[in-house]
Amino acid sequence: MAGMLVCGAAFGTFLAGTIVPFVAAAAFTTIMLITLTFMVGRAMGNAKLTLWAKTELVQLVVSIVSVGILVMVINIFCVIDMSEVGGFFGITAPSMNVYNAFIAYLNESMTYSHNALTVIRYHLEAYTVMTYFNAFMCDFAVGNIGLGCFFGYSGQQEQPFGGYGAQMATLNAFFASTIIAYFSAMNSLFILLFVYKGFVFLFLPLGVFLRAMPYLRGFGSLLIALAISFLTIFPFMLGVCYLMGGVLVDRANGYAPSGISMDDYDEQIFIDSEDFAAQLGSSMVGPDAVRCTYFSSDSAACIATAALSLGIIPPDAVGESFDKDNIPGAVAFAAYAFIAAVFFPTIALLATIASVSYITRLMGEEIDLSRLTQMV
Amino acid sequence: MKRLPLLLFLLLTPLSFAGWETIGGIAIVTSAALLATVYAIGLGFGVNELQMMAKEELYQLVALGIMMAVLVGTNGLINTLSSTPALSPGSDSLQNASVLLLDGLRDNVSTILTNIGKYDLAVTKEGSKAGQCSIMGMGYGVSGCGGYSMLPAPLSMAGGIAGFAMGEVSGMKRLILISQSFALPFLLPLGILLRTFKITRGAGGFLIALGISMHIMLPAGIVFNEMLVATFMDDATASSGYEASPTSVTIEKCSATEISPGQGSFKCSDLIGTDPDTNDAKAVKAYCDLRTSVRSYLKTILLQATLGPVISLLMMMASLRALTSLAGAEVDVSAISRFV
Repeated sequence: MAGMLVCGAAFGTFLAGTIVPFVAAAAFTTIMLITLTFMVGRAMGNAKLTLWAKTELVQLVVSIVSVGILVMVINIFCVIDMSEVGGFFGITAPSMNVYNAFIAYLNESMTYSHNALTVIRYHLEAYTVMTYFNAFMCDFAVGNIGLGCFFGYSGQQEQPFGGYGAQMATLNAFFASTIIAYFSAMNSLFILLFVYKGFVFLFLPLGVFLRAMPYLRGFGSLLIALAISFLTIFPFMLGVCYLMGGVLVDRANGYAPSGISMDDYDEQIFIDSEDFAAQLGSSMVGPDAVRCTYFSSDSAACIATAALSLGIIPPDAVGESFDKDNIPGAVAFAAYAFIAAVFFPTIALLATIASVSYITRLMGEEIDLSRLTQMV
Repeated sequence: MKRLPLLLFLLLTPLSFAGWETIGGIAIVTSAALLATVYAIGLGFGVNELQMMAKEELYQLVALGIMMAVLVGTNGLINTLSSTPALSPGSDSLQNASVLLLDGLRDNVSTILTNIGKYDLAVTKEGSKAGQCSIMGMGYGVSGCGGYSMLPAPLSMAGGIAGFAMGEVSGMKRLILISQSFALPFLLPLGILLRTFKITRGAGGFLIALGISMHIMLPAGIVFNEMLVATFMDDATASSGYEASPTSVTIEKCSATEISPGQGSFKCSDLIGTDPDTNDAKAVKAYCDLRTSVRSYLKTILLQATLGPVISLLMMMASLRALTSLAGAEVDVSAISRFV
């Protein structure tokens, strides 16, 4: 968990053993440069150099204070209980700190997207199997038996379920969007790891050093602002999404929208290509028996209905027989997954970038981040 | 003398609000206490920068207090606006009206998608028919239903478009439900709370803007689009043909072994009201029926289910950008606009 990653002993050791010495070294180097500049300024009687040194000393203090504030905020986030934050607003959520809530939300959105993928994939698999289902109806049929095939091969061939193109076109598009949602959630998790191991390590010491260098204050401010924002605002914003998880990822319903039960979409149901008996059985009962197998939660009763009607489900019974055939539900699930795993993490990222913009302005340099947001 | 009223104002601030406003009040008082500490340090050590910073932040704090007072007032205005009958047809608020509209729209799009699926299934089944006869290895195979093979491709495309519309409507309804649950009761006060502290001011301003934009602009986009569509439909000249209910399409059974003699070209007008008996005439009639019924789907699929959510999201993005700018940290929201 991220909480253990950030709030645990390992990160503390990393911070105290690596980051702080690096920041201290950068600060010391900067102080040496400032001191030398001040001495040269005094020796040469150059007021510009002494003024520069004094100004940069103040900026160095600002940088070090910023790093101190960052460490303090991280420690505060490690003890803030998101369930208590939610309690202020009447929201109930399991108890955990900000960093754990952040990673919990991303894990939940991944589970949610994966469930959406499963439901869509189930439909696509079923339609694909049925599309390739061929029926040969022998001439002179008596029930399901055609006398025309006794002495030869006389009859009519057709694909009773060949026409699922409209549904498959829809589902293929949403399958792609749900994969994007799933990858986006994983991408956010990767950003998390990169922030903890990359941003802090590189950006803080460099930021402290560069802020005091001529012409590089803007860049140094940006580095510190990025580290502060991605270590505090980004996790907090996704922690806020965690508090909204009851609606966003349908936490109470097993990470699926109401009306969809993941137990209905067990892909083990698809007949193995070598399961001759199952294929023969479903073929003999009639074409709708195949649909019953995949799209009815009570397939035996559904097949019995089909068998009584010579393999065709009576039109009036279609809706209740094929209750798992739920394209509107699958499409809506995909849309919800996109909102949970792409839309709101993007909102969190934009809030983080807004914070970067504000912090850089706070440090005296306005940065135009419009290019950065276009990469989102 | 000026400090006493200020102190009284800060102490009484939490008492003047109720519910989420209390949290904002607590945030203001906490922030004021921190500023006082900073100012005291600046005064004690003679650091002018710290004193200046504390003074500047005090202005921000006062601005925040004003903003909260405005928001408390605006909350009533927003609720009044939301429940204006003109903006909430058939419901008690703008948000509920949009949810009702989206529910109806979802049912319509679902019916259309189901119909397209049924036609696709029937057409492809007929088009796949082939007759065979063989005895002792000799025989023939014939497919007399090839005429139907022209129809599955456009039906697939129609299904894809209807599916996208379904996704948009479902997604929009979800966003409005999220905004109903969280925009004003959670995002807005949290934004105010975050905006109080310097380090989180950018994110706080963004959350305030997001809460207001989601609460007002998302449902407003849906309702406004519905008004536009109603106005368009009222114009008989412009909307001629779009207002009709979808006509039923009958896919005639095809005989796999029947090869009809060449009959020249068909026109749709020749087949209206007829009961064709040849395979190719049946296929053409199915095409003509589908072509006629497509136009009646356009109002629901394109105007209501596709354009409505697009307008709604764009309104939200524009509002978000304007409000973040007002809150002091403009955000380029083109990233979200790209979802449209």
